[in-house]
Amino acid sequence: MILRTKTLSAALALAISAGGAALAQDAATPAPAPAQGTGTQQSSEPAATPAPAGQADATPAPATSPDATVEAGSGLSPTGERATAPTQSSEPTSPQNAGEQTPMEAPEVPAVTTAPDAGGNAAAEGDTGAAPAAEEAPAADAGAETAPAAAEAPAADPAADADADAGAEPAGDAVQLTEGDEAAVPAETTGTVVAPEGHDDIEGTPEDAASDAEPDNAEGGEEHAAAASHGAPHIEDIAYSFEGPFGKFDQFQLQRGLQVYTEVCSSCHGMKFVPIRTLHDDGGPGLPEDQVRAYAANLNPVLDPETGEERPRLPTDHFPTITGEGMGPDLSLMAKARAGFHGPYGTGISQLVNGIGGPEYIHAILTGYTGEEIEQAGTVLYQNTAFSSGNIAMPPPLSDDLVTYADGTPATVDQMARDVSAFLMWTAEPKLTHRKQVGLVSVLLLVALTSLLYLTNKRLWAPHKRKLHQKH
Amino acid sequence: MAGIPHDHYEPRTGFEKWLYRRLPIAGVIYDTIMIPTPKNLNWMWIWGIVLMFCLVLQIVTGIVLVMHYTPHVDMAFASVEHIMRNVNGGYMLRYLHANGASLFFVAVYLHIFRNLYYGSYKAPREVTWIIGMLIYLAMMATAFMGYVLPWGQMSFWGATVITGLFGAVPGVGGAIQQWLLGGPAVDNATLNRFFSLHYLLPFVILGLAIVHVWAFHTTGNNNPTGVEVRRTSKEDAQKDTLPFWPYFVLKDLFALGVVLVVFFAVVGFMPNYLGHPDNYIEANPLATPAHIVPEWYFLPFYAILRAFTADVWIVQIVQFLSFGIIDAKFFGVLAMFGAILVMALVPWLDTSRVRSGRYRPQFKWWFWLLAFDFMLLMWCGAMPAEEPYASISLIASAYWFAYFLVILPLLGVIEKPEPMPATIEEDYLAHYEAPTRMAE
Repeated sequence: MILRTKTLSAALALAISAGGAALAQDAATPAPAPAQGTGTQQSSEPAATPAPAGQADATPAPATSPDATVEAGSGLSPTGERATAPTQSSEPTSPQNAGEQTPMEAPEVPAVTTAPDAGGNAAAEGDTGAAPAAEEAPAADAGAETAPAAAEAPAADPAADADADAGAEPAGDAVQLTEGDEAAVPAETTGTVVAPEGHDDIEGTPEDAASDAEPDNAEGGEEHAAAASHGAPHIEDIAYSFEGPFGKFDQFQLQRGLQVYTEVCSSCHGMKFVPIRTLHDDGGPGLPEDQVRAYAANLNPVLDPETGEERPRLPTDHFPTITGEGMGPDLSLMAKARAGFHGPYGTGISQLVNGIGGPEYIHAILTGYTGEEIEQAGTVLYQNTAFSSGNIAMPPPLSDDLVTYADGTPATVDQMARDVSAFLMWTAEPKLTHRKQVGLVSVLLLVALTSLLYLTNKRLWAPHKRKLHQKH
Repeated sequence: MAGIPHDHYEPRTGFEKWLYRRLPIAGVIYDTIMIPTPKNLNWMWIWGIVLMFCLVLQIVTGIVLVMHYTPHVDMAFASVEHIMRNVNGGYMLRYLHANGASLFFVAVYLHIFRNLYYGSYKAPREVTWIIGMLIYLAMMATAFMGYVLPWGQMSFWGATVITGLFGAVPGVGGAIQQWLLGGPAVDNATLNRFFSLHYLLPFVILGLAIVHVWAFHTTGNNNPTGVEVRRTSKEDAQKDTLPFWPYFVLKDLFALGVVLVVFFAVVGFMPNYLGHPDNYIEANPLATPAHIVPEWYFLPFYAILRAFTADVWIVQIVQFLSFGIIDAKFFGVLAMFGAILVMALVPWLDTSRVRSGRYRPQFKWWFWLLAFDFMLLMWCGAMPAEEPYASISLIASAYWFAYFLVILPLLGVIEKPEPMPATIEEDYLAHYEAPTRMAE
């Protein structure tokens, strides 16, 4: 009888905890739905400003407000109009070009806009304002860069907003370079083109900016400290957002990483296992569907197996397969196919503590060039401290400001390497966030179940397990 | 069923009596789950249930994975990625299956070493032990072939190395290897037959596991004292035992829960920790990985395989005596399989009449040294084949054989065992008060 009661109560408690866990899982679902609720998301992640959609496929962005969504669509609608930020030629046809032609000129002009600030005020209004803004940008910056449709950006970089408040009049189509302020403001606000729409919600104050920027800096500091304390000789440990039991991908970092992949890596590396549609998935970059469609259309055409003819890529297709002389390995699974950490002494403890280190390895490769070149059997190799043989065939792919982040994040080599390595972790393990949630719920449920079994077992055995009091 | 005297199934209702006359299945089930079990079993007796769980988990997840997997060299790797990306919950299925293999081997090694410590292999349980060894061999074959299926670099090169072992057999080796591979090298034919066998063998294991359970239900469980349950009468037996249901079922379920907490934490938070990064690179017959390393559960025997190189004197002697037929490579293969063979023969190699290591003062030390030796071999197997690992491997391999072939036979003669309790009840009453009432 006792047993029966216990069993029933166990089953009941299990059912309750299951329900609770299911709720918790719903609540914990990451990756804000593109069209809503990003206001809060942004306030909690000041470091990650979303990339505006201005640069067509190069920097697709989450549309944070309905307006922005519309605008993003309109920005993309002249399909393939790759207003690739740094490129002067107006319509490069393949993504590869972008990377190669990128001028190195200094202050990048990422389109950071007013957009929704931390308070969630949707600012992206003034559709009409966007286009002129884009047109004026080149003029303002000696034609070096276009800041197309800057207003579309949901970017909510409060610091940038504050900057705009101070340096630019939030009037009409004004596009302004705030170069004068750059030196003074925190790093992430450098070189912002502000395309305010004469809207009144540019309310980020310098205090806001500072307070929002601080955690970011602190985080960065922490990462470096962590790296210094237990990094392997060549591979620096990086505190990615997706590490740990509660880790999840930083949506905006993935978008920046996608931009780096698209503008730089994709000229030599394919990703044949990654369906393009997954760019829209929860827990991933979370691009709006129309942007995913536009992104797919801008990739190389694909041979339709049914008609035998080439057709533009659809979101249901995969990223291109790139093979051939001088081309690099497929990157779909690269972040899981390399180990950054080993040992010590073959025990695997390092990987237990730090993780396997695939993304860290990619970051280390991208930042590990010493600048030395050697020639071996007619091939130029580049010295790289992270590569096993010390010399790698891949030329240094990154240089400062090679890409222009639409959210104003300074495109240092380190930053780009972090972003693209995080992105490649996502391509390798797109279900990582879900998996960790499943793991967490499973563990909690099992702990509950096991606790009940422990009590049941203890009760069951009690008559047979009474300890002797005297010593024997 | 023969064995410890206990109450048997009595059909009560009309239907039960009707069925019992035609098929006494209810009686078999009743006798199986109500089997009298020594009440002093400790927590090392829970691994059997964990192993049963693993087998079921692997079969269930495996069957669903097969629904989405394509055993073809051009599509296998992509179909695994399809499972990981497109199949609902596919990533969990695959990670549960891959890490389930690891849990399976964790449990089986603990199960085996518990047997070795408490002398569970000794008469009258030799058959249970031998069947267990067969299960272990089938598990290794299944795990090896399963690892080939994702068709990554380690899959391909692991298959190349392991099938190459059969090629080391003098004379007919090449033919055997080609017969196993279905061609001159690891290719589509290999993948297909491995897939077929990987699907078949778990059911062989299931059959063997049922016989395994049948065998020890006939002899009764061993227990930490190694003293047999009294069979003189039902009353005596009841003093030594408690029925499996509910006492040991609940105990085992609780232990399984604890194990599964760890297991799901691994699957959820670090599912690739026990794997190898190279297996996320599609198989490429033209590019050999820098280090070909088997999965962790094969490492001890892999270390033994590599330990006997051509410069070891015993290898040279054997090569000389066999007129060169047994070369270093074949010697290594023999040593690897021999390491499992000597373990399988342990019921006849251990001469001590005392079953449990608890009452064998010298044996304890040698046993724990063997456990350490096993871990050491595992570590050596993961390291490159160079000094000092080669020497360590050799010494550790030598101890493995010495334990079974020299130490156990001698210990039975020279060791003076400590006094043992006469009955399980006596041992139990030394720790716990006599039960005053039975639970319902």
